[in-house]
Amino acid sequence: MRTEIDDPITLEIIQNSLQATADEMFAVMKKTAMSSIVYEVLDMGTGVTDAKGALASSGAGIPAFVGVLDKAVKVIAKKFGTPGDILPGDVFATNDPYYGGVTHLNDIVVAMPVFACGRIIAWTANIAHNSDLGGMAPGSITDQATEIFQEGLRVPAVKIISKGEPIRPVMEIIKVNSRMPDVLEGDVWAAIASVRIGAKRLQELAEKYGVSTFEKAMSSFMDFGEQVSLAELTNLPKGEFEISEEQDDGRIFNVKITISDTEFVVDLRKNPVQSNKPVNASRDGVMVCAQMLFKSLTDPNSPANEGSFRPIRLLTREGSVFHAKEPAPLGFYYEIELRGKDLMWRCLAPHMPERLAAGHFGSLCGTFTGGIHPDTGRQFTIIEPQVGGWGASPGRDGNTAIFSSFHGETYNCPAEINEARNGLFVERMELNLEPGGEGKYTGGRGIVMDYRIRGESGFLTVGYMRSKFPPWALAGGRVGSPNYVRFIRKDGSSERFAFVSGFTTHADETIRIVTGSGGGYGDPKERDRAAVEEDIKNGLITRERAREVYGIA
Amino acid sequence: MAIKTIRIATDVGGTFTDLVCFETDHSTGESRVITAKSDTIPRNFEEGVLNVLKKGGVDPGSIDFFAHGATVIINALTERKGAKVGLITTEGFRDTLEIARGNRPDFFNLHYQKPKPFVPRYLRRELPGRMSYKGEELRPLDLSGLLAIIDDFKTDGVEAVAICFLHSYANPVHEQTTLVEVQRLWPEVSVVSSHQITREWREYERTSTAVLSAYVQPTAERYLSRLLARLREEGFSKKPYIMQSNCGVDSLESVSKIPITMVESGPASGFWGAAELGKLIGEPSLLALDIGGTTAKCSLIEDGDVKIKTDYWIERDRTSAGYPIMVPVVDLVEIGNGGGSIAWVDDFGKLHVGPQSAGAVPGPAAYGGGGTQATTTDANLWLGRINRDYFCGGEVVADMAAAKAAIEAVAEKLGVDADVAARGIIRIANDNMANALKLVSLNRGHDPREFTLLAFGGGGAMHAVALAAELGVRKIVVPADASVFSAWGMMMSDLRRDYFVTRLIDLKQGAGAGIEQVFAETEERARAQFAAEGIQACRVRFRRYGKFRYQNQDHTIEVLIAAGQLTDERLAEIGTFFHETYEREYTYKLDAPVEIVGIHLIASAEAGKLTMRKRQSTGAQAHAALKGHRNVDYALEGVHQAAIYDSGKLEPGMTFSGPAIVEDPGATVVVHPGNRVEIDGYGNIHIQLAAER
Repeated sequence: MRTEIDDPITLEIIQNSLQATADEMFAVMKKTAMSSIVYEVLDMGTGVTDAKGALASSGAGIPAFVGVLDKAVKVIAKKFGTPGDILPGDVFATNDPYYGGVTHLNDIVVAMPVFACGRIIAWTANIAHNSDLGGMAPGSITDQATEIFQEGLRVPAVKIISKGEPIRPVMEIIKVNSRMPDVLEGDVWAAIASVRIGAKRLQELAEKYGVSTFEKAMSSFMDFGEQVSLAELTNLPKGEFEISEEQDDGRIFNVKITISDTEFVVDLRKNPVQSNKPVNASRDGVMVCAQMLFKSLTDPNSPANEGSFRPIRLLTREGSVFHAKEPAPLGFYYEIELRGKDLMWRCLAPHMPERLAAGHFGSLCGTFTGGIHPDTGRQFTIIEPQVGGWGASPGRDGNTAIFSSFHGETYNCPAEINEARNGLFVERMELNLEPGGEGKYTGGRGIVMDYRIRGESGFLTVGYMRSKFPPWALAGGRVGSPNYVRFIRKDGSSERFAFVSGFTTHADETIRIVTGSGGGYGDPKERDRAAVEEDIKNGLITRERAREVYGIA
Repeated sequence: MAIKTIRIATDVGGTFTDLVCFETDHSTGESRVITAKSDTIPRNFEEGVLNVLKKGGVDPGSIDFFAHGATVIINALTERKGAKVGLITTEGFRDTLEIARGNRPDFFNLHYQKPKPFVPRYLRRELPGRMSYKGEELRPLDLSGLLAIIDDFKTDGVEAVAICFLHSYANPVHEQTTLVEVQRLWPEVSVVSSHQITREWREYERTSTAVLSAYVQPTAERYLSRLLARLREEGFSKKPYIMQSNCGVDSLESVSKIPITMVESGPASGFWGAAELGKLIGEPSLLALDIGGTTAKCSLIEDGDVKIKTDYWIERDRTSAGYPIMVPVVDLVEIGNGGGSIAWVDDFGKLHVGPQSAGAVPGPAAYGGGGTQATTTDANLWLGRINRDYFCGGEVVADMAAAKAAIEAVAEKLGVDADVAARGIIRIANDNMANALKLVSLNRGHDPREFTLLAFGGGGAMHAVALAAELGVRKIVVPADASVFSAWGMMMSDLRRDYFVTRLIDLKQGAGAGIEQVFAETEERARAQFAAEGIQACRVRFRRYGKFRYQNQDHTIEVLIAAGQLTDERLAEIGTFFHETYEREYTYKLDAPVEIVGIHLIASAEAGKLTMRKRQSTGAQAHAALKGHRNVDYALEGVHQAAIYDSGKLEPGMTFSGPAIVEDPGATVVVHPGNRVEIDGYGNIHIQLAAER
C-alpha cells in the first residue's frame, strides 16, 4: 500500500504528469490536424489550468501560445458561472479576443472541464490557427478590414459539446462559415480529441493520488514557478528603462520598463490610439508578450506556469494599439505583439547584453497564398511564417534562418511537399546575402525563397514588418537587412512590398520572399580575421565589402 | 551434417566488446552458452573483437553464424570523427542543409544555438536540372560544371561526396547519372547519393541523410573490411552478418555500401530479442525496457511487431533540433536515466535524477573510483536492493562510506535523512522511466495494462516491478542472462531490409493497380538485391504496409496490408481498417477522403538463427536456490525482509513469492511484497503483480 500521499516527491511526480499531459495533448493535435499551419508551423498550443483558469502547464510549440489558454478558460469559467452550467463531458470554444480569445478570430480555443468527486478540478485547453473562418477575405486575414466583423465568424465563448454530444447547430454554423469547411471541421475535431485525452489523464491522476493531493500539487507548482522568477529577478539590473521607436507605418511606439526586486512593470500607456486597420492587439495578447520576454530573461529552461508570471505588472490604456477595444480589427495582431516584444527587448538589451542579443528579423513575415492546384483541381492555401536571421550577442554570431521569437518548435515546409501539395514551384531557397548585420559578431542570415506560380487567379496576402527599419544592432554593430516580398511578373518587371492583401497572381509569376539578417554586435573592425576569411570563403560576403566593412587587407 | 552448430554475436560498445556464443549440440538440441567481455580498442575495434573471441575460447574457424554490432557509426557522428564531405545538390538549394527546418525547440531561450551543418557552405555545390514531384524531368541535368566542382573538392581535401537532388525519391535518374560521373572522374573517392538510402520525400532530411552517410562511410568501410580480413586470417570462412537499426542483420558487403543503417544497431538487437522472446513464451505484446549505465530505452511491441520508422534524429532533444537520418530505425524512446545517473538538488530544493551520468569513470560513488555524487546505483545499494557484498557480481567491493557520504549530501539539501533521500532518488528515477514508457504506450494510444513488461539490461529488473505498478501492468518478464540480452537478440535476427517509398495516391476506385505497382516494383528491387547476394527469390518473405491519412493531414498511420495482389475490390476493406485504426488512436474518425502517402515494405530471409530449446529441470524446489535473507527497502512499500535467490540455481518450474531479490552476476531482480514468481522452461523469470494494489 502507498504510505506517503502528499510528500514532496509525490507532488513532484504529479507536476511531471501535468507537463506530460500537456505534451501528450500537443502530440495528439499535431498528428490529427488537417492544416499545415497546425502540424508543421505548429501555430498551436495546449495547456492545463486549475479550476479557476490559472495556468498549470503548457505543451506549446511556440512561446506566444503559452500564456493564451488560461485567459480563455477564465472567461469561460466566469461566463458559465452558475452551478449546473458546466457538466462532465462539456466542451467550450472561443475565438474572439473580446471574449477571452486573446489573439485573432482564426485561432479557436477549445476547453474542457475536468471533473473529479463531482466538481471541476482542472481544465484542459487547446488553441490552433484555423485556415479560414469566413470574413471578407480568403484566410480571414486582410489589411482591408476596419472592424472585427469583417475578419470572420465570432465564437464568443460558447458550449460546442454538451455532456459528450456535439451541439450540431453550433458545429454547423462554425463549419458553414468557412471557405474550407472540411479542413476546419477536421481541425476542430483534432482539438477536441486533444482536450479529451488530456482530461482523461488528469482524471486518472486525481483518482490515483486523491483530489486534494492533486490540487496541492498544482498550487505548489505555481508557487514554485513564482519562486524561480523572483529569485532570478534579483539578478537583473534594477531601474527604469524607456524607449520610443518609429514603426514602418510611421507610428511611434513606446515602452517603459521598471525592474525592482519584486516586480517587472511594463508600461505601454504612452502609445497611439487603436487603428481602424487590423494592426492592433488585445491587452491579453500584450500580456503574453511581456510574459514571453520575462520568461526568457528569468528562467528560459524550465516550464512556465501562472506563478512564473506573477511578478509582471502590465499597464495599458484602453482604446490604444496595445489594448484594443471592440470593434477594432485584430487580424495582424501577431505583428503588433511581436513589435511589442521586440520593443521591450530593445529597451533592455543595452543594459543586459549577456541576456539579450541584438535585434532579430523581427517579423513573422506571415505569407498567405492560394489558388487552384493545377494538377488536382483542388483549392490550396499556404499560410506560413518565414525563417530569418537573428541578432549577434557578445561572443557569438546570430543564428541563421530560424523562425521569429514569436515561434519556436515551428517547421518550415519542405519544397518537395510544397510543390506536391500546393502545385507551385519552389525555384530556390537559399541564404539572403544582402549586406547588413556586420559586426565583431555578425547577425545571422535571412533567406530568399522563390515561389513560381503555376495556376491562374491565385491570391497573395502578406504583412511583413521591419521592412523600412531593419533589425537593430548593439554596441557599434551594423543594422541587419529588411524583410520584403518582390513580386516578379512574366515580363521581368517587378515590385517590392511589405503589406498587400488579396493581390491576384498568374501563372509563371514569381513571389520572392526575402527575410532580413539580424543586427550585428560590436565594431566590425574588431571581428576576428579568420572569421572574416571564412565568411569570404563561404561566399557570404565579397572581399571588396569585407575590406570596406571589416578593414581587412 | 556437423554434430554441432556454433553461433556467436559480438557487440562493440563504448567501453567493452561483448561476446555471446551458443554451441548447439544436434544430438541433444542442448546449447552451451559462453559469454565474455574484453576492452574495446578504439582505433582498432577489430582487434577487440578478436580478443574477445580468444578470451571466450572460440576458434574463428569453427564459427557457423557470426553476427556483429558496433557503435562505430554513432561514435563517429557524435565525436565528429568522420570524413570531410562535399555535397552536390540542385541549383537553388545549396543552403537547404543550413536552413534546415528553422525550428527552435528551446523556445524561451534566446541564446539557442542552431546545430552547425556537417558541410560548410563552400563545400555545398549545385548542378542545374530539375524533376517534378511526379518524377517528370522539367529541366535536363547539366553536368558541365561537375569537373570544376570535383577539382575544388580535391583542392579542399574532400574525402567523401554526397549527392542529393530535389524529388529524387520520385525519379532518381539525375542522381544516378551524377553518381556514375563522379565515380568515373574520381574513382578513389567515397560517394553516395540520397536515393540509395531513402526513397522518401523531404529534401532537408534526405540531404542530411546522404551527408551523414558520406561522413561515416570511409570510417565504416575501413573498419568492416579490416574486420573481415582479420577474421579470414584467423580461419573464419562463413559470411559475417552485421546488425542493423531495423532489427535485422545484413551482409557485410551490403552494409559497407550504406553503413549509416548501423546507427542504432545496439538498441535494435535488444528490442528484436524482446519480440522474439515474446513469441517464444507466448507474450507477443510487450513493453520492452532496457536500462543500462547512462540511459534507459523503451519500445512497444504489439502482437510480435516491432515498429520501424524513418523519423530518426541524432542529438535531438529539448534544447537542440538535432540532425535527421532517414533510415529505418526501431521506434524507441531514450532518456538519460540509468544506473550511473546522478541525483542532484536544484536551487529550489527539487530533486532530479540524470541526465548527467557518472559514466564508467569515476562511476557511482560506491565504485570507490572517486565519485562523490550519488547515483541511482548508490541509492539501490543503500536501500539494500543491490547486495553490498555481491556488487557487480562480486567483482567490486562496494565503497559504502562513499555511497553514504554522497547520499547524505543529497539528503542535507533536501532537509531529510539518507533513507528518505535514497527512496526519493529511486522514486524520481522510476518516474522518469515511467514517463518514457508512457510516451511509447499511452501517448500512442496504447493502454499499458494490456502489455507485459520485459525488462533487461543491467538495471531493468531492479526497477521493473515499481514501473509496472505505476503503469498498471500486471506481469513482468526478466529474461535469463538479462545483461547480455541484446547480443542474444542478434542471434535471433533475420536478414532484413525495410523499404520506404513515397507515392501519393488517392484511395479511391481505380487506385488499386497503381498501389500494387509500387509494391511490385519495390519487391522486384528487393529480390534483385537479395539475388545479388545469392539468396533465391523463394527464400524472401514480404510484409506490406501502407501509410495512410485523411486528405490534407500530414501524419500518416501505418496499416498492414494482407498478402496477395492489391486490387480495387480490396480498397474498401483497407479503408475500413484505416478508419478503425485511426479512431482507436485518436477518439474520432472522419467522413473524409483518404490517401496513401507511400509504402513500407519489409523483405526478409532467414539467415540461420538460433532455435531455443527448453532447459532440463532436476525437480528441485526454489529453496534450493535460496542464498539467505536481508532487509530491503522497497521505497513506497517500506522495509521488508526479503528472501535472496541465486539466479544460477533457479530451474524451470520453480516458484516463490516476494519480498525477494534474485541475484545474477550482471543484474539484480527486485521482487516486491505480494509478487508471485515463476521460472519458465527457458529460465526466464516471470513476475506476477497482485491483482489489485
